[in-house]
Amino acid sequence: MTVKIVTDTLSDITGDLAAKLDLTLVPLYVRFGEEIYRDRIDITSEDFYRRLVNEPKLPSTTQPTPNDFAAVYRKLAEETDEILVVVVSSKLSGTYQSATQAKDYIKGKCRIEIVDSGQVAMAEGLIVIAAAQAVKDGATLAKVADMARKAVSRSHLVAYFDTLKYLAKGGRIGKAQGLLGSMLSVKPILTIKDGEMAPLTRVRSLSSGLDYLYNVVASASKIEGLAVEHTTTTGDADKLVERIGKIFPKEKIYRSVISPVIGTYSGPVALALTVLEAEK
Amino acid sequence: MKKIDNVAGQDLRDMFSAATTWLEKSSADIDALNVFPVPDGDTGTNMMLTMRSTMEEAYRAPDHSASGVARAMAKGALMGARGNSGVILSQMWRGLAEGLEGKESFTAVDLAEALQKSAVVAYKGVSNPVEGTMLTVMKDAANEAKKQVKQGNDDIVVVLEATVNAAGESVARTPRLLKVLKDAGVVDAGGQGVYTLLEGALRYLKGETELMRLRKPQMIVSELPLTAPLLQTAGVDEVPFGYCTEFLLKGEELDPEIIRKRLEKKGESLIVVGDESAIRIHIHTLDPGHIIQLASKLGTLHQVSIRNMDEQHQDFLEMQKERMPTTDTSVIAVASGDGLKDVFGSLGAAAVVPGGQTMNPSTKDILQAVENAVSDNVIILPNNKNIILTAEQVQSLTQKKIKVVPTKTIPQGVVALLAFDYEADFKTNAEIMEKALSSVKTIEVTRSVRATKINGLLIKRRQPIGLLDDELVAAGDTELDVINQVLAKLDLENAEVITIYYGDDTEAADAEEVSDSIKEQYPQLQIEIIKGNQPHYCYIISVE
Repeated sequence: MTVKIVTDTLSDITGDLAAKLDLTLVPLYVRFGEEIYRDRIDITSEDFYRRLVNEPKLPSTTQPTPNDFAAVYRKLAEETDEILVVVVSSKLSGTYQSATQAKDYIKGKCRIEIVDSGQVAMAEGLIVIAAAQAVKDGATLAKVADMARKAVSRSHLVAYFDTLKYLAKGGRIGKAQGLLGSMLSVKPILTIKDGEMAPLTRVRSLSSGLDYLYNVVASASKIEGLAVEHTTTTGDADKLVERIGKIFPKEKIYRSVISPVIGTYSGPVALALTVLEAEK
Repeated sequence: MKKIDNVAGQDLRDMFSAATTWLEKSSADIDALNVFPVPDGDTGTNMMLTMRSTMEEAYRAPDHSASGVARAMAKGALMGARGNSGVILSQMWRGLAEGLEGKESFTAVDLAEALQKSAVVAYKGVSNPVEGTMLTVMKDAANEAKKQVKQGNDDIVVVLEATVNAAGESVARTPRLLKVLKDAGVVDAGGQGVYTLLEGALRYLKGETELMRLRKPQMIVSELPLTAPLLQTAGVDEVPFGYCTEFLLKGEELDPEIIRKRLEKKGESLIVVGDESAIRIHIHTLDPGHIIQLASKLGTLHQVSIRNMDEQHQDFLEMQKERMPTTDTSVIAVASGDGLKDVFGSLGAAAVVPGGQTMNPSTKDILQAVENAVSDNVIILPNNKNIILTAEQVQSLTQKKIKVVPTKTIPQGVVALLAFDYEADFKTNAEIMEKALSSVKTIEVTRSVRATKINGLLIKRRQPIGLLDDELVAAGDTELDVINQVLAKLDLENAEVITIYYGDDTEAADAEEVSDSIKEQYPQLQIEIIKGNQPHYCYIISVE
C-alpha cells in the first residue's frame, strides 16, 4: 500500500498543494484571548496579520494535541498501513511530542515513522514535498523516512524580520537574543540552526534584507528546491522571486504565505527564503 | 469564563500544585538567567525543589481550610527551602499564611490582602533587600491585586490575571533596577520564578490544565538594550564568591533577630527566617566553618548544605556559552564618547577602546582589549585612518589571530559591525565586513582650528567645516549649512538610512533641527538621531 504523508501547518504547504501531493495537514492553534483558531483553517493569514497589528494583546499558539494526530492516523489507517509524519523542529514546538504520543493511541494498526524536520516553514515544507515525490516514485516507508531524515541537514531557512519583538515576547528567541537591544534600528536576518532560531546578521532596511536573501541563493551551488514566503510583504516576495528566477530559470520556486502560528513570532513584516540543497 | 468569587483550601492546594509542575517545566531556563546575587545558575532548580517540599507538606496537612493549607505550605517551604530564592519564597508563603489565617476559603479581597502580607514578610526576611529582584516582583504583583479589588473587582480570576500581568511587566523591568541584570541582558531569575508560579496558579483556576500539559511557561525578555555584550560580562568576574551555606536550625526559644544580627557581618545575601523552634539560615560566606560553629551552639543543625559557588559559577559560564551564538570571533572597536561606545556595545562589540580624532590609543591599549577578549580570533575596527597602523601593530605582539578591517570613520565601523555574520568563519567575516564599507558615506562636521586654505576653500578660524569620507569639502556659516552643502554632493537616489550622531557639545534640539531639514529635502529617507557624545565632531552623519 502507498505510504501516506502527514505534516503540520507550520510546513506552510497550502491546501491546494497539499491536495495535489496527497498530504494530510494537522493544524496547530493560534489564540487571541479566549478565541482559539485552527492554523490556516479557521483563520486566514490575511485576517491574522490584520488582527496581529490591530489587537492590543498579542496572540499565543498551541501545538496540536495527541488526539488531533491520533484522529488523522486512524482515518489514514483505513487506506494504508504505512504513515510518514514530518513535523516542525522539536525545539520550537511540542508538535513532535504530540505526534509521537499519538502512536500509542492506535497501536499496531499501522506503521508510523515520525521525522523531526529540525526546521520550520517551507524549510520543513520542502522536505515534505521531496518525500511526497519519493512516495509517488514508489518508495517504501523505510526508504522515504530515511530520505526525509537525510534531507534535514540540506534544508535551510533564511528569514528577514522587521523586528525581534514578536519572537522575544513569544519566548522563541533562542540564540538570536544577541541581536536584541541594538541602539540603532536594525533588522535581523535569522536562520534555524540545530533546530532553533539563530542570528545570521543585521541589515538596516527591507531592501538590503531582500538583497541579502537574494545573495544567499545566488551563492548557493546545487539546488533541489526553493521557496519564498511572505507575511504582509507580498510585493517584496514577488520581486525576490522574479530576481531569483533570472539566475535559476529552470527551478520551480514555491510561493507561500507564512502561517498565522509562525506569524505570531515573526510579526507582520517578514520574509522567508528556504533552500533545499541537492544531494552531493 | 465562569466567575470565581471564592477559593477553598483544597483549590488553593491544587492551584499551587499545578503551578509547581508549571515552574518545573522552566526551571532549567530560569537557572540560565541567574546572575544575582551570584551567577551560579541554580535559581530555577532551588525554587522548584522548595515548591516540592511546600506542596508535599500541603498534601499531608489534616486541616483542609485555606488557612490550614497555607500554614502547611509555609511550614513545608521553610523545612525544604533551598538557596537564596527558596528561602525568600518560603517567606512569601509565610506571609500568605498570615494573611489567610482563620479563613475557611478566600475571596478576591482576602487574596489581595494576603499577597500584600506576603510581600511585606518577604522583604522583612532579607537583611538588605535589593530592588529588581523577586521581592520587587512580588510587591508589584500585590499592589496590582490591591488596586483591582479597590476598583470593586471580586472575580478572583480577573484579579489574579491582572496580578500576573503586573508581575510579568515587573519582571521585564528588573534590569532597569539592577545593573548586573542589565549588563547580562537578562531579567531576574527569582522574579521570573514568582511570575511563573502565579501564572501557573491562574491557568489552573482558568481550567487550562490540558494546555499546561502541552505548553511551557513563557520566559520574559529584558526590555532594555544590551549595553555590554553577554560573553564579556559572563567572563570578567574574578572575585571569589565563596560558599553558599544553608541549614535548618532547630531548638527552643530561638530568636531570628538576634541570630541575624550576629551573622550580619559574616557574609553576603544573609537570610534568617523562621520561628522560635525552627530557623532557616542562608548566607554566602568565605568561612562556612565559622557559621556552622556559631549555629551549633544554639540548637541542632539539619539539612546542612555548603556549596562552592565558584565551581557553580564555572558551570554557569559553560551553560551561558551554550546559549550564545556560536561564533569564534570577537570584534573590538575604537571610539570615544559614551553614546558611540554604547552603539558599538549594543551591536555586539566585545570591547570599545577609547580613542579617535586627536586622541589615538596606543598599541598597548588595543592589545589589552585583544588579550581580554574571549575568542582567539579578533577583528579590530580602528574607525580612524590614523589608528589603522596602530591596530596593525597588535598582531606582532599577540598569539591571537588578528584582522584589521580598515575603517576610517565611525559610520564605517558601524556598517562593518552590522555586517558581521554569525555563521561565517574568521577570514570570511573580515572580508564581508570590509566589503560593507563601500555601502556607507560619512559626513563629519567640526570647526576649523585655524584660518587656512584647503581644496580651494578659504577657511576662517572657528568656522564650521564639513568632511566627506575624510576629505574636506565644505565650509559654511552654520553647521546646518555645511551639512546641506555636503549632502548636495551625494547621490541620495539609492540611499535609505541617515544616522545623525551628535557630539558632546551639541544640543539635542539642534540635532532635531538638522534632522527636520534633511527630512524636508529628502522625504524618502529614514532618519535616526543618536546622542553619540563624541568630542571634536559636532556631527557625524552616516548615509547608507
